[in-house]
Amino acid sequence: MKTDIQIAICGSAGEGTIAAGDILRNALAGAGYRVISFDAYPAEIRGFGKCVARLRVTTEQAYSLKEKSDVLVCLNDEHGIPHVGEVRDFGAVIYEAKSIVHLAEGSHVSGHIRPAQVPYPLAIRELSERATGAIRSRNMVVLGYIAGLFHLAKEPFEKIINTKFKGKGKAAEDNHKAFDAGYETGAATFKLDDVNFGPPGKGLQAVMLNGNAAVAKGCLDAGIDNFFGYPITPATTIMERLAVEMPKRGKRLLQTEDEIAAISTTIGAGYTGARSATATSGPGLALMSEMLGLGIMAEVPSVVFVSQRGGPSTGIPTKTEQSDLNIAIYGGHGDAPRIVLAPTNVEGCYRCAGKAFEMAERYQTPVIVLLDLYLSNRYETVVMPAKPPFEPNCDKPVPKGDLGAGYKRFGFTEDDVSPRALPGMAGGMHVVTGLEHNELGRVNEQPEMHEAMSRKRHDKLKAALQHPDFTHYKRFGDEGRVDVGILAWGSTVGECLEVMFLAHLEGIACAVMKVVMLSPFPTEAVAAFMDDCDAVLVPELNYQGQFAHLIQAETGRPVHRYNRVTGTPMRVEDIMAQVRRLAKTATRKAA
Amino acid sequence: MTPQPIYLEEKLKEVQESGRLAYRSKSMPTWCPGCGYFSIVDGLPGALNDLGIAPKDAVVVSGIGCSSRFPFFVNTYGFHTLHGRVLPVATGIKTANDALTVIAVGGDGDGFAIGGGHVPHAARRNVDLTYLLFDNGIYGLTKGQTSPTSSVGFKTPTSPYENPDQPLNPLLMVLTYGATWVGQAYAGRPQQLETMIKQAIAHRGFSYLHILSPCVTFDKTDRTYVRLGDLVRDLPANHDKGDLGAALHLAMDTATPALGVFYETQRPTLADALDGLVEKAGGSVGQKRRTA
Repeated sequence: MKTDIQIAICGSAGEGTIAAGDILRNALAGAGYRVISFDAYPAEIRGFGKCVARLRVTTEQAYSLKEKSDVLVCLNDEHGIPHVGEVRDFGAVIYEAKSIVHLAEGSHVSGHIRPAQVPYPLAIRELSERATGAIRSRNMVVLGYIAGLFHLAKEPFEKIINTKFKGKGKAAEDNHKAFDAGYETGAATFKLDDVNFGPPGKGLQAVMLNGNAAVAKGCLDAGIDNFFGYPITPATTIMERLAVEMPKRGKRLLQTEDEIAAISTTIGAGYTGARSATATSGPGLALMSEMLGLGIMAEVPSVVFVSQRGGPSTGIPTKTEQSDLNIAIYGGHGDAPRIVLAPTNVEGCYRCAGKAFEMAERYQTPVIVLLDLYLSNRYETVVMPAKPPFEPNCDKPVPKGDLGAGYKRFGFTEDDVSPRALPGMAGGMHVVTGLEHNELGRVNEQPEMHEAMSRKRHDKLKAALQHPDFTHYKRFGDEGRVDVGILAWGSTVGECLEVMFLAHLEGIACAVMKVVMLSPFPTEAVAAFMDDCDAVLVPELNYQGQFAHLIQAETGRPVHRYNRVTGTPMRVEDIMAQVRRLAKTATRKAA
Repeated sequence: MTPQPIYLEEKLKEVQESGRLAYRSKSMPTWCPGCGYFSIVDGLPGALNDLGIAPKDAVVVSGIGCSSRFPFFVNTYGFHTLHGRVLPVATGIKTANDALTVIAVGGDGDGFAIGGGHVPHAARRNVDLTYLLFDNGIYGLTKGQTSPTSSVGFKTPTSPYENPDQPLNPLLMVLTYGATWVGQAYAGRPQQLETMIKQAIAHRGFSYLHILSPCVTFDKTDRTYVRLGDLVRDLPANHDKGDLGAALHLAMDTATPALGVFYETQRPTLADALDGLVEKAGGSVGQKRRTA
């Protein structure tokens, strides 16, 4: 039996909502299911902001969350009520049965449940108090209840609780007790919904990672030497994870005084031959733009991870958006070509992170890896490769021995990449500079030299479009001619794939092409895909249609835009409405 | 002091035999004749040569400005970076490869106007590098505008009536930021300058050498050789360079700048601290070096 169940847990900040979601997704992944999960929470650490943890549990690969949830847990009434509507018919709504605060008419969850939904009133507070003497473990009670009600094995939960509360004294014991109390109640409850977990897939050895954790893992597996960063939501957790792991490997990480220093130190380290990276969000990338230009001019490798959030300016720091495509590709002054990669799922974050180091070294340029808050914080079960799929050294070899007086750091070569002498190499002394220079690196402002060097800096990147063992773009769905083709990038690709499956069910010929390498742009492949489409739809989470602009500029062909800036991931149903509309037009044309 | 006569052939032979020419680049400095910076570009090769640091093991990093053209005029590895960013780039280089001798150079505008936010952090982290600050109190490369160390009342194209701003006191700032070696030299005393560059490089930790220098082209009135030469004085004979309070008092006297080592102390460098983290995490110390 296929399993495809979405659970939403809803509560106030500080009620353990996100923690409950975390234990649930890890336990279910531990049990062998595939999980995709994304939490929404307010900017405040404490207080009364609403938190929602959502996870979709499947046996087949899923690409995004679903429109409707199968199970909703309300840890409090106020925040739960707006979400009752998202539960499908015959789905389950679990809520506090014995509220101790006075609730006015209409402010209790029970009053909002539709007849077709199945209510499960649960004495959450009371069970927690009876089990542990405190109300703090309410989130564990509901986890136990879910496990009991849906006949899930207890063991994966117990394992995660042990790991999570290791060394926290009585907390582990209390949480086990609360979980057991909930479990017994759940197991004894007469189940009326039709939410059923089938057995998990066989032999799925997956780990649960979010995008930022996958980036950190990719950095480590690619042998990162140095990391320099400045905290900023939603990129900070990349640095936090590396701060734990890099010293264990003898590597150095430094929190700098600002983003300008972060990119400057990264480029300084890159100049010595070390694999170095930094991570930031849009505001930080704006500050880094000038130094990235130096990295391009001086041909020094560096890797910059950028997790986008709502902008411009400080914008909406805890909401997702895809509005930094322009600054990533074009940001900065002058003709400043660079490599920009945009992973589309958590596994892609791992691969792009590792490959970014290869490319930075191979093409001697900054590489920007563009995530967004949704992808940074989205959890997915990822099957890791047996050994890291990254090359440890991609530097173009320099001649052995003393390089001597004739060494040309920026010499013109067939592939426009010049062998790079690193500080410490005998005879390789040279100066790199942000000024236009000749092959030796000496300042030269002659018209011919500026043209030749500009061409070198641009043309050397063309080879990146054939960089080995990397998915630059990929087509999914129907072969040949289609009614509607969707061109997508970044975190939105998951929703687009779900839309494609829906379109197929409705008899619409549909294909999706995801583009991972945004710069240099795979123009030919994208144009070939567009040739196959009666209509091309470009859904993205920005107001301007930045990816649509890029496609139109590169291919000279029109596209249909669909832009949302709600701060939340794109809704599958919204994109689907666009596909239906375009499919009708396409059919009319054909007739 | 009676000037000693110099016989060109003898001097040339002496310089050629000293080995310091190996540190000079084939590119000749682009500075104006008479610029104070010539004594610095003469001093650094001598200092590196005396310390036995091979050209391949030294990296000279600079920002933007007249002084920041410096890397082109020495035969070491060099990184001519952006306006104000010399210290973070130098920090990145040193953090990635301990074996390199890193010398950061730049002017008063580069270091204390646009780059002022980086100085405290390089100092407090005690990054093991040497910062040579060429202070001429002017923006020379853009043809003579006011800098953060220009005197009040100084007239330039951007302050045609007069400079209304108080000058910064870089020495006082760097001392309070936690630099572990702080000194002042004068371009008009090249031998002392060379000795002090040598001491600054030999120091383990963040060393800051403030070098007073005239801009002969754009400043005909304030910091000329004649005026500076009259004002500068030797350190008081009883100055204790281990005494931060005494060093602060010296730095506060901007009317008659003292020349010499103001302050010197030892504490763990950034590299020591980062190695300490590696040990705490249970890793083994030893940066992977990808250099030859």
